[in-house]
Amino acid sequence: MRQRGVWALAWQRFRRDRLGFACFIVVIAYVAIMIAAAAGWIVRDWSEEVGVSYAPPTFLGAEEAAAVEAKARAHQGPVADYGIPDPLVADLAEIAKGLSGAASDAARAPTLAFGGDKWGRDVLKKAVKGTQTSLFVGLTAAMLASFLGTLFGAQAGYRGGRVDDFFNWLYSVFTSVPYLLLVLAIAAVVNQKGTLTVILILGLTGWTGIFRLIRAEYMKHKVREYVLAADAIGASSSRRMYVHILPNVSHVLLVQLSLHVVLFIKSEVILTFLGFGVGVDTVSWGSMLAEAGSELLLGKWWQLAAATAAMAVLVTAFSLFTDAMRDAMDPKLK
Amino acid sequence: MLAYTLRRLWQFVPTLGGVVLLVFFLFNFVGGDPAYLLAGKISNPAQIENIRRQLGVDEPYPVQLWIFVKQILRGDFGASWSTNERVADIFATRLGPSLTVLVPLLLISTLLSMAAAMLVAYVRGSLTDRAVMIGCTVGQSISILVYILVFQYVFAYQLGWFPVQGWGVAFAENLLRYSALAIIVGIAVSLAPDIRLYRTFFLDEINQDYVRTARAKGLSEGRVMWVHVLRNAAIPIVTNILLQLPGLLAGAFLIERFFGIPGIGREVILAVERSDFPVIKAVTVYVAVATMVVNLAADLLYRAIDPRVQLK
Amino acid sequence: MNARWRVLWFAVLLSAAGVAAAANAEKILRVTFQAAETGFDPVRVHDYYSGSVIEAIYDTLLSYDYLARPAKLVPNSAEAMPQVSADRRTYTFHLRKGIYFADDPAFKGRKRELTAQDYAYSIRRFFDPKYRSPYAFLFTGKIVGLDELGDKAKQTGRFDYDSPVAGLQTPDRYTLVIRLKEPDVNFNYVLSFPLTGAVAREVIDTYGEESPSHPVGSGAFYLKRYVRSSKIVLAKNPAYRGLVWDSEPGDNPRFKKIAERMKGKRLPLLDGVEISIMEETQSRWLAFQRGETDIEYQLWEVSPTFMTDDGRLRPEFARRGIQLDRTIDPEITYLAFNMQDQIGGVPNPVGGFGKERIALRRAIAMAYRLDDQIRIIRKAQAVRAQYPIPPGVAGHDPQFRSSIPYDPRAANALLERYGYKKGADGYRHQPDGQPLVIRYTSTPTERDRQFDELMKRSLDSIGVRMDIEKARFPEYLKLQKQCRVMMSIAAWIADYPDGDNFMQLLYGPNTGESNNSCYRSKEYDRRYEKSRTLPDGPERDRLYHEMTRLMEVDTVWLLGDSRIRNALQQPNVIGFTKHPVLHAEWLYLDLDPDLTAQ
Repeated sequence: MRQRGVWALAWQRFRRDRLGFACFIVVIAYVAIMIAAAAGWIVRDWSEEVGVSYAPPTFLGAEEAAAVEAKARAHQGPVADYGIPDPLVADLAEIAKGLSGAASDAARAPTLAFGGDKWGRDVLKKAVKGTQTSLFVGLTAAMLASFLGTLFGAQAGYRGGRVDDFFNWLYSVFTSVPYLLLVLAIAAVVNQKGTLTVILILGLTGWTGIFRLIRAEYMKHKVREYVLAADAIGASSSRRMYVHILPNVSHVLLVQLSLHVVLFIKSEVILTFLGFGVGVDTVSWGSMLAEAGSELLLGKWWQLAAATAAMAVLVTAFSLFTDAMRDAMDPKLK
Repeated sequence: MLAYTLRRLWQFVPTLGGVVLLVFFLFNFVGGDPAYLLAGKISNPAQIENIRRQLGVDEPYPVQLWIFVKQILRGDFGASWSTNERVADIFATRLGPSLTVLVPLLLISTLLSMAAAMLVAYVRGSLTDRAVMIGCTVGQSISILVYILVFQYVFAYQLGWFPVQGWGVAFAENLLRYSALAIIVGIAVSLAPDIRLYRTFFLDEINQDYVRTARAKGLSEGRVMWVHVLRNAAIPIVTNILLQLPGLLAGAFLIERFFGIPGIGREVILAVERSDFPVIKAVTVYVAVATMVVNLAADLLYRAIDPRVQLK
Repeated sequence: MNARWRVLWFAVLLSAAGVAAAANAEKILRVTFQAAETGFDPVRVHDYYSGSVIEAIYDTLLSYDYLARPAKLVPNSAEAMPQVSADRRTYTFHLRKGIYFADDPAFKGRKRELTAQDYAYSIRRFFDPKYRSPYAFLFTGKIVGLDELGDKAKQTGRFDYDSPVAGLQTPDRYTLVIRLKEPDVNFNYVLSFPLTGAVAREVIDTYGEESPSHPVGSGAFYLKRYVRSSKIVLAKNPAYRGLVWDSEPGDNPRFKKIAERMKGKRLPLLDGVEISIMEETQSRWLAFQRGETDIEYQLWEVSPTFMTDDGRLRPEFARRGIQLDRTIDPEITYLAFNMQDQIGGVPNPVGGFGKERIALRRAIAMAYRLDDQIRIIRKAQAVRAQYPIPPGVAGHDPQFRSSIPYDPRAANALLERYGYKKGADGYRHQPDGQPLVIRYTSTPTERDRQFDELMKRSLDSIGVRMDIEKARFPEYLKLQKQCRVMMSIAAWIADYPDGDNFMQLLYGPNTGESNNSCYRSKEYDRRYEKSRTLPDGPERDRLYHEMTRLMEVDTVWLLGDSRIRNALQQPNVIGFTKHPVLHAEWLYLDLDPDLTAQ
């Protein structure tokens, strides 16, 4: 069949692009990390406080005179009650009798492989866990945006007329509102928090570019012979849209999808800066960078470096992979 | 052409209507009640009620919406709720600083990226091309936040080449002294994606039939690039810049905040933090109208330069 | 590039002015605000930063002695402290003669003297519904006839400035008599608050809605140039009456040094103040280090870069001549619970006075890692709050100790005892088997995220599930005022240096106004009402001690910390110390021209 032939050719061309293929491997590795972290096979203990606050990377050595241990406020002796009785006094006295000996606090490491954050969590593990969140956000949001963009674009481009007018109207409204306010509006509408909000914000604001391209493709394709032929044999219009035309525009879609993954991973940083970041029980590259802003001034550069590096490698690999993919599928551009 | 323009202008109406509904919805259902912020540290329900009445947010929604529509028609959005400043004045005074940064930024980064893009398109497929493209990709993969933090730290603080932040009175001082680093950060951020994008524009043109014809006629490769390719690739590039401008006006808040530039982006963030609805309304409408106008202008430009483009 | 720029710029200045060396003779103090101001009309603002500028522009009747600690009131535009009648209801002020407003077109070229009428007018303005004044509470329910005038205006839609108010009288040009509905021991503090400075009616009438950007006062400075939310430039008011620096340093050696240099000088010594608004900490810190600003104290996040762990300036800064002023802010933070049984019709697991509810609140308070808040979030630049009244505020008791220890093991045992059993997922249930979820509310900022993390870690240590509600600031305030916040970290900074300003936060009838825990305890309220009739002293302290213990026994709050303000100054700044109540100290400062030149 014609389709399979095109894809096989593209794959062959892609295999020949060594850089693109290497980047593809890197992307796959990141996805593997994402899956492993999500499944809990790795970095389950990322949020444990294993080191001292801002433990430096091991290769720098421990800081002299580790932070002065804060004085415990337990066992400070009896305090005056000023004649006000405590209803829990009997309970607390009994508990105190039962709990003998000081609580043992696990010793904290003075250094960590690539340093620690302010709570003493391992920055490297955070970066890995952040990979899970950020890549997941990027992928799902891009899929959502592509889904919406394709759905709307197909309808508008294929059906034309009032449907087209409607989606064009929606498109112009979405592209006319300043991004920041659009983000606010959608954040408010979804009224969720954490990772889901980020995905929805990105997906619901990001479909417009894809919509325009897909619409144009559908307008081009709907008058092609093979579509007219499908019409003649009585295929329904949605069958023509999604079974016949869609495979023929899928290369455009695939490239857009991966472009948007990159875009959304970067946008997550800005959303976090604006206060629409992931929840407190998880970590993303955006939340790491937001924390790292003031840490840089304190000379604790490792969190900024870890998050930036993890992100730069993925985004670079993903972009180059996308380029290679586009070249492979559309050799005219090469 | 005239008929087309008129029809497009007429289409502004429903789009603007959608924007108005969206921002109205945004504010009334989710924007946060400004009365509690304006009421200060200690307030009672009667004061809150008084404030709500003063602001007109106790009116029924259709009435508020109608007031909003009238404001748009008159082009007068009243005064800011938190500072009492006329909204029109806010934009008049913030536009200058925003443009002081944005215009040179766009000009320089466009010239640089066009030159670089043309070069790599000319030597497409070579090692230089690949190296530049990979460099751009890496540059593009770093967050703007990191660029700002690091550039400010290194160039303003450690090297002391620029003031950390500030804004003066004289235009020349603002442009050359205070905006300089902000412009450089902006260029650093936009150069990589622009080169990548413009390279595809050039490649698109290089592969066109007319270029092949020109080459076949025996024109030198340099002449082909400079005369034919550049002229035609300039259209999508100019369009791209025009389309960016309205969004950038409100979107440059990170740079404006870090470098202390009293521009529009910073004002928008402030308005959002304070639930200052008149300012939010105005900025949304202004940006929406600007976007539509620029879109139209870009389409007309296309038409004027390239007769092959059909306007539907 | 910088140096070359300076040269170039200098050349431009010289050629433009045509006069040599006049450029750096002016003493201009450069400072920053970390958030934008909102304007300078006293009745229209509520933020600290606008208040600072207002303080510099307008004259209040009373003010504070610069160096006296605890803060002490002194007459400002009044000749002397007011005569207070025996029943503490009538306050009589005599104004200094010969105080003039700064020149302004509104005065049509005439010199305009400050009179008692101006104060009467300025106080009335707080009740004009048109201004919806955020600080009207300063006077609400206090002055005879004034609330009624405001209520009338709400009906008629027009505030009558000319109709007489029984409680606000001006028997002659320089005398203001204020009559109160009830005795009030704190009323003098109100009249030292910057927003009660005198405005001139002509000016307000001239500028109308533009009044926030056209402040005209009789204070030491006037507004010279103003770029909203970016730059505020103040210049010395030539019409200023010229206060003489006169303050007793006490035993404090640093204060003695200040007094030595400043005593007897005619104020203000500065020619102007240039305020830049810089939201980002990185910008503020780098700008100060580059010498672009003179005083900077909004640097909490980066304090370890210039402070040692034991609270001294790092030697490399000390060597450069940077000066440090270290004070504790008159503020407290606290972990607050909602005490109502229900929140919006839904049962509130942390509310109420049942023993198991108290136990839950107590356990959370005992599990909260306050030491980490101070050590990690505050970077050790805060002191633990043991008492609801912070240092520097009348009524503070340095001996008082909180009765709630940090003890997560005991907290766990307490929860077990009261039937909060752990489920299969490791989280506890309510005693009746219902799931237990604590909703914690905070704003979506990076600063709050640190508290979110700490709170989450603390609650995890006792197996209590936490759900975070993010509300932008205006929404957060609304939820608070409507008693719909279940648990949050709150803060309060003194409006005036008296304990009453803090103890009122838990007074039952203040629910919906400032009592955001919605705590209603007959025991507390009875003592509070009594305390209000008493001046600062042992009798009132005894009541405050009991009230504080009540608060802890019921576990309405867990007291948090008071931040330490580390104000850095360039070597050329003379006479600076952060006053606990005054917003800005510009009036009392000088710049050393020799050091400035360097």
